[in-house]
Amino acid sequence: MQPGANIEMLMARYQQGDFAAASALIDHVSPQLYRFFAAQSFSRADADDLLQETWLRIHKVRHTWRPGEPALPWFYAIARHIRVDHYRKSLRTVTGERRLETLAASLPRIPSPSDQTEQVAALLAPLSAAEREVLEMLKVAGMSLEEVAGATSSSVGSVKQKVHRAYKKLRKTLGIGQKGGRL
Amino acid sequence: MRDREINDILESARSSDSPQPESLTRISASIRESLRPVRPLPPAWLLTAALALVCAAVALAGAARAGFDGIEKMAPWVRGLVFATLGIFIVIAANASVKAVIPGIRRRFSTGPLLSLCTLALLAALALSFRDYHVDHFVSAGIACLITGLLHALPVALLAGLILRRGFAVRPATAGWIAGTLAGLAGVSVLELHCVNFEAAHVLFWHMAVIPVSAAIAAIAAAAWHRLHRFLAP
Repeated sequence: MQPGANIEMLMARYQQGDFAAASALIDHVSPQLYRFFAAQSFSRADADDLLQETWLRIHKVRHTWRPGEPALPWFYAIARHIRVDHYRKSLRTVTGERRLETLAASLPRIPSPSDQTEQVAALLAPLSAAEREVLEMLKVAGMSLEEVAGATSSSVGSVKQKVHRAYKKLRKTLGIGQKGGRL
Repeated sequence: MRDREINDILESARSSDSPQPESLTRISASIRESLRPVRPLPPAWLLTAALALVCAAVALAGAARAGFDGIEKMAPWVRGLVFATLGIFIVIAANASVKAVIPGIRRRFSTGPLLSLCTLALLAALALSFRDYHVDHFVSAGIACLITGLLHALPVALLAGLILRRGFAVRPATAGWIAGTLAGLAGVSVLELHCVNFEAAHVLFWHMAVIPVSAAIAAIAAAAWHRLHRFLAP
């Protein structure tokens, strides 16, 4: 199945209680969600746990998706919520005081087995959590600006602004990295 | 490194890691037992209309009990300006409340700036309408109005929670903040219908204070409710 194809149809059948559709949806969407977690400095085991937790939450609130609406932003909005909850738990464990975004940037990076994921994580490391998230959704998950805006509960203008800032920061950092031989 | 090279690295990750097939089988199995047909949420416009109606009903019921003295004393243009601004703000806040409990829904404008703009517009409308710059019993009269406003905001917040109970807030504190703003607007409406104190300082400070106080209380309550749920979750 092509990315984005039939997700809405499967979702509608999932809402009607069709197990085959639910399984197909899990098979189709899980790799994207898994990479979303894996690219955020989580180990394979953490990404697996978060994926399972996300699906349990998706199952519980599946009635909140409305037929006719794009399903991908809906999945990502829930995955994002699970990830933020995970960060908050880590926040309490690690410092108890530091802010969420600081923690997201400072958590120890546990390399995933994939070279590409590791390369992406290294590339996006200088960005803030919000900028990293938006770039991952746009470029790694292949979502449109509108879909990313939906998933992050923001406007398209705000997403564009984050992307612009992210690229600016990356250009600057990579330029310095090339001179200094970091990359 | 050019933008295209950055894009190439990011796009190459599309075909990288995947979850273990056993994990997917486990997830499928875990939802199988509880898989039943579900009824999707009603359309957003219907929920928005329900919330706006609740606001109007509570404001009118509150003013009917306390008296419509304020609106009776207002000049016709002031009535038009104040209640039209309040009405528009209520519809916008109701719509934002609905969007806060539907994950992944499209937004034309970011909620924070939108509600801030509405608050400024309401402040401007009140500042234009009330130009009595005397100040009498600023604190005692103000506290009474603040309490009256908050007491009317409470039922709106509870009814909003009831109407939106099937939704899912991905950002519970923000959802609480928006619902609290909506409830606060019902409180302000009661005060504008009833209060005969037209001093600018009183209206601009104490009547408007109902909105942020109600929003803050609702945000704290929503965040606490979410934490409690997370704590009690197996």
